[in-house]
Amino acid sequence: MFEPLFLAQQALNGLSFGALLFLLASGLTLVFGLMRIVNMAHGAFYMLGGYVGVVVATLTGNLLLAGIAAAAVVGFTAFVVELGLLRFVRGQELPEVLLTIGVSFVIADLCLAIFGGDPQNLPADVRIPGALVIGELTYPWYRIFVIGVAAVIGIALILVQSRTRVGAIVRAGVDDREIITAMGVNIRWVFTGMFVVGAALAGIAGTIGAGMQSILPGVQNEVLLYALVVIIIGGLGSIPGAAVGSILIGLIDAFAKAWIPELAYFTIFLPMALVLVFRPTGLFGRVA
Amino acid sequence: MNRRRLALIGLGVLLVLGLALPYLGASSFIVSLTSTILIAAILASSVNFLAGEGGMVSLGHAGIAAASSYGVGWASRQGLDTGLQVLIALGVTLAVSFIYGLLSMRTSGIYFLMVTLAVGMLIYGLAFRLSSVTGGENGISGVIRPAWMGQYWTYYYVVLACFVLVTAALWLIGRSPFGASLKGLRDSESRMRSLGYSVPSYRLGAFMISGFVAGLAGLLSVWLTAFVSPSSAGVDRSVHLIIIVILGGIGTLLGPLIGATVVVLVENVLSSYVERWPTVLGLIFILVILFARAGIAGSAGKLLRRLRGNGGARTPGGRGSSASEAVSERNHNA
Repeated sequence: MFEPLFLAQQALNGLSFGALLFLLASGLTLVFGLMRIVNMAHGAFYMLGGYVGVVVATLTGNLLLAGIAAAAVVGFTAFVVELGLLRFVRGQELPEVLLTIGVSFVIADLCLAIFGGDPQNLPADVRIPGALVIGELTYPWYRIFVIGVAAVIGIALILVQSRTRVGAIVRAGVDDREIITAMGVNIRWVFTGMFVVGAALAGIAGTIGAGMQSILPGVQNEVLLYALVVIIIGGLGSIPGAAVGSILIGLIDAFAKAWIPELAYFTIFLPMALVLVFRPTGLFGRVA
Repeated sequence: MNRRRLALIGLGVLLVLGLALPYLGASSFIVSLTSTILIAAILASSVNFLAGEGGMVSLGHAGIAAASSYGVGWASRQGLDTGLQVLIALGVTLAVSFIYGLLSMRTSGIYFLMVTLAVGMLIYGLAFRLSSVTGGENGISGVIRPAWMGQYWTYYYVVLACFVLVTAALWLIGRSPFGASLKGLRDSESRMRSLGYSVPSYRLGAFMISGFVAGLAGLLSVWLTAFVSPSSAGVDRSVHLIIIVILGGIGTLLGPLIGATVVVLVENVLSSYVERWPTVLGLIFILVILFARAGIAGSAGKLLRRLRGNGGARTPGGRGSSASEAVSERNHNA
C-alpha cells in the first residue's frame, strides 16, 4: 500500500489523469474568463470529440488526424451553438448557462443515436505502444504522451495569452469589454473565436481521453463535473489555476481510488469544499 | 379584486378536478402517472422556491430527494417501522440540506449553480460506490409504503394533499417577511447587507426550507415506485427539475405543476413513440429560454394582461418575468 513502486505508479496515474483534466478544464476556464459563461455543454463537447476521434482513428489509424478531426467537428458545433443560440442571450448569465445545459442534453442524446450506447475506446494500434521501464516500474508510453501533450498545450496557451496580439485582445476583453470595443475590436467575434477554441480543446481532450477511459453515455456529466471542480479550485478564468487544480485533483483521485474506493468521489469534493469556504474565488482567482 | 377571484376560482376548479380524478373513470395507470406528476411538481416547487424567491438556481436538488429516498430505503431494509423510516428520511434530508446550504450560502449566481451541482454529484457518487449502505448500482428495491395508503388511489390522495400543502406553505412563506427579505437578496445583495441583513444565514434558511420540501418529494417518490437507484440522484434528474421550473415559469405558483406535467408526459408517454425524446425535451427547453423566458405560466399571465390591456397590475402568474429578469439584471450590473 505504501511501497515506493505503488506510490510511483499511482503518482503517474494521477499526473496523466490530471493532464487530461487540464486539457478539459483549460478550455472551460478560458471561455469563462472572457465570456463569463460556464459552459455546461463542455462535457458533451468532450464526448462528441471522443466519438469522432475513435471513428476517425479506427478508419485512418492516425491519432493526429483523429485529434484534428475531433477539434474541427467539435469546433464547428460550438461555432453553430455560439452564433445560433448564445448570441441571443449575451450578457444574461443565467439564460446562457441554461442554454448550454439544453445543448448538452441534445448533443448527448444525438451522440447516443449516432454512435450507440456501447463503451468505445481508441483502437490499440493508434495508441503509442509499449511502456516505459525503470527498474521494476513499467508505465505505458501513451499516458506519458498525454502528460506531454497537456504540458505543450498549456505552455502554448500561456504564451499566446501573454505574448501575442490575439492574447492581448483577449486579456483586454477580460479586463474591460467596453474600452476594447471602443478601440475598434469586434468583441463579438473574439467571443465566438474563444468559444470555438475552448470547445476544440474539449474535443482534443475527448480523443486523447478515449485512449485512457471509455467514451460512453453519461461520460459527459462525469468529465464536466471533474472540470468544474478543477476550475472552482483553481479559480475561474485562470490557466495556471486550472493547471494546479488539475494536478491536485488528478493525484487525489488516483490515490483515493486505490486506497478508499468506496469514497472515491467524496475525496475530490473535500478540497473543493475547503477552497469554497476559505477562498471562494479559488486559489488563483481574482475578485470579480 | 376581480382578477384575484378569477384566480381563486381557477385554483378551485383544478383542485376539484384533482380530487375527482379517481372517480372520473381514470385507469390506475393514469392515476399513478398523475401521482408521478404531482411528486415531480413538489420537487420542482422546492427548486422554484429558491430560484423564484431567492434567485438561487440549484442544479443539485435531485441529490436531496435521493438522499431522503435512500434514508427510507435503508431504514426499511433494516426492518424499522414506518415512523422510524420517516424520521430517518427527515434526519438525512435536513443533514444533507444543511451541508448543501453551508457550502453554497456564500455563493450566488452561477457559482451557486456549480456548487449545488457538485454536491449533487457527490451524493450520486456515494449512492453508486457506498454499496454496503445504498446497494450500489442496483439500488434498493421493495420499499413498501404503509398499508393504509397501499391502494394506488389512496396514495394518490396522500400525494395530492402533500402537493396542495406544500404549494400553500411555499406561497405563504414567499409572502412572509422572510420571503420579502429573500426577494431583497435576489434583487440586491449589497443593499440588503448594508441594511444589516446576514446574507448567508438567510440563504441557509431558504435552502433548509427548500431542502425539506425536496426530501418530502423523495419520500413520496420512493413510496410510489418502491425503488431507489443512483440515477435518481444524477445530474440528468436535476437538469429535468430545472427544465420543469423554467418551462412552467420561474417564481410562478403553478409553474412547477405545468412544467412537471409537460416533462413527465414527454418522459413517460412521448418516449414510447419517439425514441429521441431527450432531444425533444432539450429543444423545447432551448426554445423556451430563447423565446418565452417567463415560461408557460408566466407567458400566459403576460398574454392575459396584454389582452386585458393593463400591464401594470401584478398577479401571481406575472411574477415569473420579474424574477428571471431580476436574475439577469443583477448580473448585468456586476
